[in-house]
Amino acid sequence: MINLILNFVTACRTSGLRVSTAEVIDSARQFELINLLDEDQFRTTLRANFAKSRREQRDFDRLYNLFFHDMLPDTDIDIKNPQKDEIRNALDQIKTEINEDPLAEAIFDFLAGDPIPYLKEIQRLETLGEETTKALKSNLSQLSSRLEIMLRINQTRNRLIQLQNDNSTDSQPGQNRGMAAHLLKRLEVANRMLTQETRPYNDGLKQVNAYGKQYSGLGERPFSNLTEIEIEQMRSVIDQLVRKMKDVMSRRYATRNKGALDVKKTLRTAQRYHGVPIEIIYRRKPLRKTKVVTLCDVSGSVWSAARFMLNMIYSMQDCFSDVKSFAFVCGPTNITDIFEKHEVNKAIEKVLTDTNINFDALTDYGEVFYQFHRDYLNLLSKKTTLIIVGDARSNYHNPQEKLLDEMRAKCRRVIWLNPEPEQFWGSGDSEMNTYKAFCHEVRPCRNLNQLIYFIEDLVF
Amino acid sequence: MIGFESVEDVAQKLESVDYIPSREIATVVYLAAATQKPILVEGPAGAGKTELARALARCLNLKKIRLQCYEGLDEAKALYEWEYAKQLLYTQMIKEKINDLIAESSSITEAVEKIAEQEDAFFSERFLLARPLLQAITSEEPVVLLIDEIDKSDPEFEAFLLELLSDFQVSIPEIGIWKAIHIPIVVLTSNNYRDISDALKRRCIHLYIDYPEKDLEKRIVQLKIPEIEIRLADQIVETINKIRDLDLKKRPCISETIDWAKALMVLQVNDLSPQVLSDTINVICKYQIDTTMVRESMDKVLK
Repeated sequence: MINLILNFVTACRTSGLRVSTAEVIDSARQFELINLLDEDQFRTTLRANFAKSRREQRDFDRLYNLFFHDMLPDTDIDIKNPQKDEIRNALDQIKTEINEDPLAEAIFDFLAGDPIPYLKEIQRLETLGEETTKALKSNLSQLSSRLEIMLRINQTRNRLIQLQNDNSTDSQPGQNRGMAAHLLKRLEVANRMLTQETRPYNDGLKQVNAYGKQYSGLGERPFSNLTEIEIEQMRSVIDQLVRKMKDVMSRRYATRNKGALDVKKTLRTAQRYHGVPIEIIYRRKPLRKTKVVTLCDVSGSVWSAARFMLNMIYSMQDCFSDVKSFAFVCGPTNITDIFEKHEVNKAIEKVLTDTNINFDALTDYGEVFYQFHRDYLNLLSKKTTLIIVGDARSNYHNPQEKLLDEMRAKCRRVIWLNPEPEQFWGSGDSEMNTYKAFCHEVRPCRNLNQLIYFIEDLVF
Repeated sequence: MIGFESVEDVAQKLESVDYIPSREIATVVYLAAATQKPILVEGPAGAGKTELARALARCLNLKKIRLQCYEGLDEAKALYEWEYAKQLLYTQMIKEKINDLIAESSSITEAVEKIAEQEDAFFSERFLLARPLLQAITSEEPVVLLIDEIDKSDPEFEAFLLELLSDFQVSIPEIGIWKAIHIPIVVLTSNNYRDISDALKRRCIHLYIDYPEKDLEKRIVQLKIPEIEIRLADQIVETINKIRDLDLKKRPCISETIDWAKALMVLQVNDLSPQVLSDTINVICKYQIDTTMVRESMDKVLK
């Protein structure tokens, strides 16, 4: 029993769940309290101890099924069905009819009860994207090999069904049918393992689509459809918004010195004057300590929205104690300095012309995350909110979502603003659905009203 | 050991105080109580996280102590605070006595020595203002300690909770270490606003409470409003579940289901119609935009 659990723990750890020894001991202790034959209780106990957030629960469930159901050697095989070598024989017979190659071999080994070659094949697929990053930067080869295995599985399935209905062999027909059914079941398992999403499930994700409709005409126009005059109007509205934000901030400064009397500190300073409370000290309202790191896509596909986003990021710099801003196309460029030194319009102009951002390159989010992770990870702390602005269109490059996951672990919140309408997320080269799983909050942000709504949520 | 005999016992006791737990909830609560570990409850707002702690206190007949977390919450507000004003007042009042005490001393050292002997008088429980956490630890009776919305607090506060939750003791420098008389049943709730630190998670048993299944929700409605007709309860739960599927700013939770059912009872409605839903929508939706959205998709919601 304990060995089984320890094996499972190893499996959990390998797949990224953090399970500590203390938690293993806890669960072992708890097994004494529950009815172990009740699977619900058994699973709940393991889950309550091993998966400690909703995101991990999904991973846990997948592993649990794999470990305790799919991969466990079937116990009924010896009772109802022929011996192992008979299965082997039958499989060999089929195999001779199908072209010999390592892939088919792996599938047949899996059916015969030796899953290792097949698992290795799947593992190779999963890691394929990372290995070929430098040369190809694409996940297409991974998809095509996946397809190949699927075809092979289908082929095998057809043959097995044939076998199931085939009564002409010399052994008893019932036995054959039972064996084929068993093999089909195994094949289903193999198929499920191949097609299963390994992406984490993000239930706590806050997805905001609703927004207030403050400016009816202008507010509803997508950034990409604005005319020259409307852009001017938009500017003035944004200026207003920025002023409002600053007002709120200065009010916060102003109220800092008001509030309840702080008896402790007043008495302490009074000691200096023989107990006469000359200076009265109030409890201070702490300023918001939040730090903000923004990553803003300025590539061609979001060109129209980028200007407004930069404008918004610029104004945020005044509202929080620490804002670091980056613009990117295929690698992050630190634009914090430009924003700090110049007036807003000039700063944006400068970002779009003077920096060494390569505007001709193809957008590559994976690369951006990779470089950011390498060079600037120390900017993220538990007080940081990371705001990513972009359409997640990564030109079929490797999305590197694992890096975003690591970044998420470092900071307080990850918010993604997407200037595309929601129906287009995940279409074509958009990796939005991949990245979504690693954000705390995602919002479409393609017109003024949505932008205002977001800022109000963040600042006020 | 306070608490329960078995998983079934938990379910039964919780039901007796009008809280219907799923099997998972019952199992986790039982394990937590038996191994004296805190429960970390996650889930959408209004799924009954806080209510679970309340129900636990009610069914075990224990006092409930609640600590609401927020940004800027610190030890002084959560654990204890010295009452400086009171200490000062007392010093003023017994000035004479102190003078008497040191009157005979021949040197300053001796005087300080003498006052030091009395130090305990000034740093004793008398001048200690116990906040929720200390109350829970020092309580004569076992209690249920609810630490609500832990994700709203600062990471510093989380770190500070670690000592309390693993050893159930607090150290007060002037007095020493206080161990809990009874280990309280601790329930922490989180809305997943940010991720909780691993260290804290490790000390807790995790539980995720989702919106209840339709059948369970129906039972809850019937339990809270016994006089409701089964058909109407059916309709209400169906409709609420459909509304939950809409993209709302705030999804209706169980308490809103019950409020709505109550409102319909008061209005003596026997059958749901678009008119009725439209009239009572304010009970279900708490935002103007949500109200508009439900009104717009009326035919989808009421089928």
